Amino acid sequence: MPSMDTISRELMLDSLRNYAKKNLFHEFLREKDANNEFPAEILKEMYDQSILGVHLLLIPKEYGGISGGTFDVYRVCEILARIDLGIATGVFATFLGTDPLSVGGTDEQKEKWMTRIAKENLLVAYAATEADAGSDLVNLRTRAEHVLKNGKLIGYKLTGNKQWISNGGVADVYSVLAMAPGGSSWFMVEKGTEGFSPNKHEDKHGIRLSNTAGLSFDNAYIPKENLIGGVEGQGLTQAQAVFGYTRVMVAAFGLGAGWEALEVAIKYSQQRIQGGGPLSDKQGYTHKLIVPNAVNLEAARAYIEEISERLDGGEKGLQTEGAIAKYAATESGNKTAEDAIQALGGYGYTKDFSVEKIKRDAKITCIYEGTNEVMEMTIFRGRWQEHLKTRGRYYIDMADSLQSLHLESPEVGADLAALAARALAVIMEECRAQRLTRHQHITFKLGKLISLAELAFIFAKRAAAVEYTETIKFDRNVWQAMSRVYAKNAALQIAAEGIALILGAAEKDIDLAEALNFNTIQALQKGLISDMDLIASKLKDTFKAK
Amino acid sequence: MHIVVCVKQVPDSAEIKIDIETGTLIRAGVPSIINPYDHFALQKAIELKKAHKCKLTVISMGPPQAKSVVQLGLALGADDGILLSDRAFAGSDTWATSYIISKAIKKIGKIDIILCGMQAIDGDTAQVGPGIAQHLAMPQVTFCEDIKIDSKKIIVRKLIDDGYEIIEAKSPALFTMIMPKDFEPRYPAFLDIHNSLEKPYHQWSMCDIGAQEQYIGLKGSPTQVDRIYPPPKREKAEMISGGVSEAVEKIVDIFEKENFLKI
Repeated sequence: MPSMDTISRELMLDSLRNYAKKNLFHEFLREKDANNEFPAEILKEMYDQSILGVHLLLIPKEYGGISGGTFDVYRVCEILARIDLGIATGVFATFLGTDPLSVGGTDEQKEKWMTRIAKENLLVAYAATEADAGSDLVNLRTRAEHVLKNGKLIGYKLTGNKQWISNGGVADVYSVLAMAPGGSSWFMVEKGTEGFSPNKHEDKHGIRLSNTAGLSFDNAYIPKENLIGGVEGQGLTQAQAVFGYTRVMVAAFGLGAGWEALEVAIKYSQQRIQGGGPLSDKQGYTHKLIVPNAVNLEAARAYIEEISERLDGGEKGLQTEGAIAKYAATESGNKTAEDAIQALGGYGYTKDFSVEKIKRDAKITCIYEGTNEVMEMTIFRGRWQEHLKTRGRYYIDMADSLQSLHLESPEVGADLAALAARALAVIMEECRAQRLTRHQHITFKLGKLISLAELAFIFAKRAAAVEYTETIKFDRNVWQAMSRVYAKNAALQIAAEGIALILGAAEKDIDLAEALNFNTIQALQKGLISDMDLIASKLKDTFKAK
Repeated sequence: MHIVVCVKQVPDSAEIKIDIETGTLIRAGVPSIINPYDHFALQKAIELKKAHKCKLTVISMGPPQAKSVVQLGLALGADDGILLSDRAFAGSDTWATSYIISKAIKKIGKIDIILCGMQAIDGDTAQVGPGIAQHLAMPQVTFCEDIKIDSKKIIVRKLIDDGYEIIEAKSPALFTMIMPKDFEPRYPAFLDIHNSLEKPYHQWSMCDIGAQEQYIGLKGSPTQVDRIYPPPKREKAEMISGGVSEAVEKIVDIFEKENFLKI
């Protein structure tokens, strides 16, 4: 679906921010967090069509929704995450829960359920995970057995257990993945169905405002009309079809949580006087705890926006890209939240400041919707295929296009991003030639290096664009400095880690420094500190302490 | 009955920063909001619309992105939206701005009530509302905190220094609204924002409203801004403690030291 116009989207975000300002202040969130309490009344209001109606974003217009695009959903998820990642997860679960329906539902099913979700403000849960089936759904144990009447199929009986289901104990309707005789399939299950009951609310490390519970099915009868798509065996295809899109949402969670924590740290650093001046003026502080995080988060933003625009433009799948977005943004968000505690010192470690909670909350983004190790594997698999298919040209072509970009826009670090891509091509080819991908560690690490190279590429490309999106809070020269810093780091990290990987596993001695242009990468680190100085100073201007 | 409410998009003053070196506002990253006084006027207009089934038009002047405050008005319940946007309007002072808005209101046709915020939080002049009334030769009441319609009369509560006045007016008239302390701004739900795109919206230029070039923009403005600068920071006050005579002595000492007592 194409995204909506910027003004409408910004008005919606303003409504959301103002709702949060009025209702979701720190003390309220802190109390709910301490009590491990799901704020049912808040979710009710957020779904109320006359107050906010956030869930309508995911519902097509013909069923009473507003047909939001990926870019819209990314922005709403980012702002929700800045407010509270637990509440964000509650909303996200509804988004996720309606996905099997949007992807695989028949027109009648969409009409029935989407309309009800929109109009009756139903909270939805997405129930796939089991004790032995997380990202690997092959071991699905929940069964859906045929119920026949006069030899004709009239429904299914579901038996089994689900675990860690967001909204599990509070949803009105559930999309449940179960193994039917014809293969894995999604079913719509309403709360109160006989034989179905949610279990206790989990006591979690973070996102404690999100209800998480197991589900038990004991011969729960589901009419056959509730089999999504009406055909058995479509479950995994339907689940995978939306990964590109759903992972962008979790990526936006990482981005939002990270920026929220970083803003707290940036403002704090201007007020905390140590050694005769504010911490915000001390390089040892800013260049370690603030600037690298701002750079990584903005690189992730550039990537999320690129993928959102491509999905909104009609491209399908983009699973590898979704995985890169999720991996990069949530790793950065989690690291930023951790650094924000450090940046606030003893204060950061107390519950009086929000960063302690953000850190606990942000950790989940590295785990759910596929752990980041599963993301590394997915990224590697996707791009390894491209590497083989193009006979090693995939990243060489990317490097060539970056080189051309550098000639047009020499200020965005495209030369370094090109070196990063070229180095990655060499490393991947060496891994192929020496059959090093038999080491799982190397494949996962390659997933990480691929993510670095692709973010550097997209960041440089978008930093050179004539117009920026409304989300970029910085002047061109600052965002471009961020892109340069990212590219410098990406090239250096890919080359250095690539050498370590190959030499660590290869049986023969090999000197890769020249092939990776290591000397040039080192030489082009020039200017790194002054770029970081500029970014530190502009971050202070942009997020001024009151 | 037809109500027109005038709204302005302003930088969020809570976030505003001034570049001390250049003396200009730092706009990057500063969010734009509806002027809070206008927000109150808009909500009052919507209450009147609901109670008396009036037609409500929301009007603003500004660059294309100021459409945002017009759409906010539409999403909250206005029927029609107009944005006055033209490069020729740039640099207009309060006189030129009120001239432009009055020309647009004339183009709308017969109207009964015009509501404005008492002032905008960026310029704080409180001149545009009264200016519109003057250009339209219309009676006006400023600093109103409440407005009601009673058959053909419009009854407002106007705040004055030591209390308030209840004033009755006949339509057409213009009222500028203050913002009560307990004002809670309402924001539209997602669906209302989405549906507001279906409502009539017009963007009018200088030609559309028949404004004369010599009265608009920087050239048509009697007021010219010299420069913008943050007020100098006040030095910390010195608190004097002790009994009356001791305090007086200390104050006189300071006066003498600072040469305040020399004639």
